[in-house]
Amino acid sequence: MKEKLTKYYPLIPVCCAYLILFFTGKNVAGIWQLMAVLVFYCALGQVFNIFLGMTGYVDFGYVAFLGVGTYGMALSISRLSQIQGLGMGVIVIGLTLALLMAGLLSVAVGAVALRLRGAYFAIATVGVNEGFRYLIEGAKIWGGSEGIIFSGHLNRILGREEASALSTYWADILVLIIAVVAAFVTIVYMRGKIGYALTALREDEDAAKVMGINVTKYKIIAFITSASLAGLLGASAWALKVTYVFPPDAFQINYTVEAIIIVLLGGAGTLLGPIVGGLIYGLSKYWLAVVIPGFQLLIFAPIIIFIIVVFPEGIVGWMKRRVKGTALQRYLL
Amino acid sequence: MALLSLENLTKRFGGLVAVDGVNLEVEKGESIGIVGPNGSGKTTLYNVISGVYLADAGKIIFEGKDITSWPPYKRTPLGIGRTFQIPRPFSSASVRENVAVVAMFGTLSGQISVEESLRVGDRYIDLVGLNRHREKEAGSLTPVEKKLMEIARSLAMRPKLLLMDEALAGMHPKDIDELVTSLKRIRDEENIAIISMVEHIMRAVVGFAERVVVMHQGKKLVDAPTAEALRDQRVIDIYLGRPVQE
Repeated sequence: MKEKLTKYYPLIPVCCAYLILFFTGKNVAGIWQLMAVLVFYCALGQVFNIFLGMTGYVDFGYVAFLGVGTYGMALSISRLSQIQGLGMGVIVIGLTLALLMAGLLSVAVGAVALRLRGAYFAIATVGVNEGFRYLIEGAKIWGGSEGIIFSGHLNRILGREEASALSTYWADILVLIIAVVAAFVTIVYMRGKIGYALTALREDEDAAKVMGINVTKYKIIAFITSASLAGLLGASAWALKVTYVFPPDAFQINYTVEAIIIVLLGGAGTLLGPIVGGLIYGLSKYWLAVVIPGFQLLIFAPIIIFIIVVFPEGIVGWMKRRVKGTALQRYLL
Repeated sequence: MALLSLENLTKRFGGLVAVDGVNLEVEKGESIGIVGPNGSGKTTLYNVISGVYLADAGKIIFEGKDITSWPPYKRTPLGIGRTFQIPRPFSSASVRENVAVVAMFGTLSGQISVEESLRVGDRYIDLVGLNRHREKEAGSLTPVEKKLMEIARSLAMRPKLLLMDEALAGMHPKDIDELVTSLKRIRDEENIAIISMVEHIMRAVVGFAERVVVMHQGKKLVDAPTAEALRDQRVIDIYLGRPVQE
């Protein structure tokens, strides 16, 4: 039993980090929005890490799952607002729908694209994202290119006060919860059989097959898990927070690139990596935008190249090596 | 019933027939050495048996089941284990995890827990003498240690048929003798049929195999008890150059 618990010790620093972010935001005036952005980046990394970090497959269309999740929430709020007495139930339905839609999309994409490897997989997934966006715009489904604006619906369902509290406070709390859930799922996977299978296939897929591992099965499990959580993230961080959705915003490839940077910066396949990556990325992006507005990307690119050259396994990957054999080892994963 | 029987097995790469109508029967617990010059089709034969390549013609029957078109991950738990000629460790994982992952997925029992597979793995790590390096990253092992780990991994599959692809090449003669002795012991204890492919080390063939199969240009040239096969004039001509001194 004791051994069982020590397996989950690496969750301690993760939870501490999120608690610090939460209490800083709550107690320091005027800083909540910044903290919310940081938590979003951490959550994005945490969720994406389950797929990118554990399988080593780069999905350039990842933002599509957040986008679809956003639509799931938008649809349920805008379509169900006529029904009386649902109240917060609409949000629960929205989250469920977001989870299901992102999950279903990942099954469809995974069944086809996960048969491809390396660069081919990456290219195929870019296609998925763009294709989905043009499908919505071209076929005029879900409001087409005009998107869905549902702040009015939300006000009608919850009342103005509640609706405003939802998008300025509770949406951020939801993001925080999703991040913690994603971290928990990550460690359960890493400590379980699936973690072993994923490590093997990440290192050498052909050898893994000969060792008796059904690689496609485990890739798809990781993909669906990661995508479903991304759907939830889209539903809370985007839909509930901004209360509208437009196809170009929901399927913007920038977010995929940001997610990849966060995961690689922190350390792909580590538990703490997405938090470290998310904080560094979020803070430096914010700081550079204040100090040298307009030039932040110019400065940012070399910094990222520098970090990736110095820490090829990511910062947490490097730290893990340093603490090997010390008492800290069991807290860092 | 034979453990493994190959019927007229053929694998082509474009115009090249790498394995050309090979027939072979392997009984439980047998030790067979496969020899032949480079390019004679030995590794391809292994790849077809373990499922890395699918056969173009012919049949693979394992314990009475026709597995010719099965994917590799289904063949391994059935009892077909193999090593790779160039070891393919999961570099970022520890030696312990490398062996455990095979115990976890490569065996029929299937339901074995993570802790249990770590224990099973440790037994085989001990057996090949890698105990000291258990916690090391597999990528940091020396080439010989990687080969030993490869053997430990293949044994952790609990195979009924073990295909070893030049697993002993590049090792010190003393280590070879030691390993051959422990392989023989495991073979007898667990009743494993071992087909070992050996390219240059006649020492291992003579010490280990009861039967030798000689491959030449994709075909099976000779299939006979070791001593007899090594005296065969055709084998001397195409492969050995001169008779083996025992």
